[in-house]
Amino acid sequence: MQKLEAQFKDFQETNIHMFLFLSEILGRFVLDAENEPIGKLADLKVRLGELFPKVATLVVKKRRGKKLLELDWQEVQSLNAAVIRLKPGSAEKLRPLEVNPQEFLLREELLDKQVVDTFGAKIERVNDIHLLIVSQDLRIVHVDYGIRGILRRLGWLKGIDFFTNWLFAYQFEDKMISWKYIQPLLSDPTKQSLTLNVTSRKIHEIHPSDLADIIEELDQINRATVFRSLDLQTAAQTLEEVDPKLQLKLIESTSVEQVSDILEEMAPDEATDFLADLPEEKKQKLILTMENPSREAVEELLKFKEGTAGSIMTKDFLSVRKDKTIGDAIEEFRKTVYPLESISYIYVTDQDNRLVGVSTLRHLITCEKDATLGKLMNTHLIKVEPEDHVDTVTALFKKYKFMALPVVDKEDILKGIITLQDIMQSQF
Amino acid sequence: MTGSDGRAMKKRSLKLHWKTILLFLAVAGPGIITSNVDNDAGGIATYSMAGARFGYSLLWSLVPIMVALIIIQEMSARMGVVTGKGLSDLIRERFGVKITVYLLVAVVLTNFGNVIAEFAGVASSLEIFRVSKFISVPVAAVLVWLLVVKGTYRSVEKIFLYACLFYVTYIIAGLLAKPDWGTIGKSLITPTFEFSSARMGMLIGLVGTTIAPWMQFYLQAAIVEKNIAVRDYKHSRLDVVIGSFVVTIVAGFIVLTCGATLFRAGIRIETGADAALALAPLAGKYCSALFAFGLLNASLFAASILPLSTAFVVCEGMGWEDGVNKKFSEAPQFYGLYSMLIFLGAGIILLPGIPLFPVMYISQVINGIVLPVILIFMLLLINNKKLMGEYKNGRVYNVISWVTVILLVALSLMYLTSLLGL
Repeated sequence: MQKLEAQFKDFQETNIHMFLFLSEILGRFVLDAENEPIGKLADLKVRLGELFPKVATLVVKKRRGKKLLELDWQEVQSLNAAVIRLKPGSAEKLRPLEVNPQEFLLREELLDKQVVDTFGAKIERVNDIHLLIVSQDLRIVHVDYGIRGILRRLGWLKGIDFFTNWLFAYQFEDKMISWKYIQPLLSDPTKQSLTLNVTSRKIHEIHPSDLADIIEELDQINRATVFRSLDLQTAAQTLEEVDPKLQLKLIESTSVEQVSDILEEMAPDEATDFLADLPEEKKQKLILTMENPSREAVEELLKFKEGTAGSIMTKDFLSVRKDKTIGDAIEEFRKTVYPLESISYIYVTDQDNRLVGVSTLRHLITCEKDATLGKLMNTHLIKVEPEDHVDTVTALFKKYKFMALPVVDKEDILKGIITLQDIMQSQF
Repeated sequence: MTGSDGRAMKKRSLKLHWKTILLFLAVAGPGIITSNVDNDAGGIATYSMAGARFGYSLLWSLVPIMVALIIIQEMSARMGVVTGKGLSDLIRERFGVKITVYLLVAVVLTNFGNVIAEFAGVASSLEIFRVSKFISVPVAAVLVWLLVVKGTYRSVEKIFLYACLFYVTYIIAGLLAKPDWGTIGKSLITPTFEFSSARMGMLIGLVGTTIAPWMQFYLQAAIVEKNIAVRDYKHSRLDVVIGSFVVTIVAGFIVLTCGATLFRAGIRIETGADAALALAPLAGKYCSALFAFGLLNASLFAASILPLSTAFVVCEGMGWEDGVNKKFSEAPQFYGLYSMLIFLGAGIILLPGIPLFPVMYISQVINGIVLPVILIFMLLLINNKKLMGEYKNGRVYNVISWVTVILLVALSLMYLTSLLGL
């Protein structure tokens, strides 16, 4: 890293390339071409959009005068460790500061605030901002969230470095995140939605479980804006993961239509679990706005009492008539495999939809394609009824080590299945 | 309306009533806990001294102190609910890292002094029951430490709420001391004040021990951790008011217990344990034991909250992971600071011949410097429209709160000058 040097850096040399920290240039004197001071650098305004955004203007505070003024970065002639010098005639171009929704101020809106590190899936606080001058532009490159950033701003960095080097031959490490992984969290909701749209790609790459942790840590305003910006599938997965107390708050800050769209995206049993915990009024409203087939599935599942097999079962299973061939079954599988929660078993039914046997995927692949399922299937069935208690089902899972169990009614009609995952979730 | 309709209506309103109570119970906790921790070892010592030296004559001052407590804490609670951020978080974002770091250093120092005082309280209260401090203090430190490291926020809060119940011992002790209710009533209705420096000093001490910098941080952080929604804010406010009321009742009973006994007998005391010991011949051994037990409970309670609050505040301001719900490896600075405060605080009590007075003195001085800064920051923050929106202070409320804060700042500066002997 090239250090800021004492002599002036002239930006007219096109290949200049220099790193600096925001804390190092804030408060520097801004001089006109005749070396007369105009004011001090109060902030930098940045326009969003590029991967490493450019600094658009300098924000200058005159010595007497409360208002902040701005000036294009292109007007800077040179800078050194103490002053920023402008090009001839630039001083007249100072104008009152205006910040559009696509722009933000580094010191006012980013420094000392929280940001999401989408690579590490964590929230960090911005201690300093690392900038780079390259081909006459000043760009944000890193966010400093380490102890060095704090020490630099306190003015203790050199002293502490000297001390730790002398005593332990050690120096605190730089902790920086590249700007491309940073999702800023601005307090203004409209601006925040814009930054999320510009950079939404980043936040969607976070695993829903981590995203849920992040959302739990955010304050209420950012929580709502971040959640609303997620696509339906990510939103559905994230919603399943967050603390139940927060779920209600999140859906309250989102429109009923959007929530019901999110619910349709969930597996019916997950959606049912979610709905079951809501206040009655809210629940009815959401179910009414949902569309079929999700709505029917959810309504049916909601009929079962909590703690019964019916309340945790899922409708995502594959059943094939016993007179079909293995080739047919594999074809069915190919068509429907994606939304299925468990792909371990294929359930075999007779003409009246009664469950008569089960086969595994492994069996299907290894056997002759033109044999019928009726011949291949295993008829020793372990099954449960919707009214059975979850504990009974859990005991069966423990005993037989199945991946999934079929749920049938009194007439042996297959109503759903319970997967190992459903059991795990019901235990916590 | 038919009879069955009426019954249905009645049932519904009853149900609604229960719903409100349940909602309140879900939100309650932070306010009640924060206020009660106020009656810690230092608080009990101050209230006992006020009673022993001036009888019932300073009782009235607890009422305006309660009002000030409610005003200050209500603002903390409101900021926590509306912004969803802790106080040190807000100070960092609004006033920058420099001020925050120096403020946090001061807060850690003053809280550390208080932690030492709490362990001194544990040691002296159990010495009354003939338990050596070399047993009581290490056991207490480990107990307090485990509570947070192994607990979750909800379980910890429950234990804290039960600890609040034990303050009833002071009320029973007060009744056993058979105070003169007529005189108490009269002194409450007609506040009298002579401008003697001793009385003034005592009054400032009472204010200083009741409104401390750490409370603002703790209350707001606890409310944020509880994720209280803005529409439940009124329940949170009730929580604060009840807490402040209860704490004043308890403080009042401590003053009147000592006023009814020690003041009449002309006994001077310096600590809460002194008071408990001196009570035995005057009000009976039960009264004395209850008083000592109350001191133990209060010291233990505050010894677990203060380090916790400090760790919260520092990590929030510096941007480190925090929270009782995190594991040790997830939040090393949080648990590190928490553990250090407890074990260093307890360790100092065990050092033979350690002069406690200078430690307390320094911590009180820093306390007096930090409080005005924090109160003024709070007022600036709560009047920030960007931050609080429609929940910023109204004009009338603003006048009341500024007056309260200016009075408190003046008192704490006076306290400071008296401490420094200027």
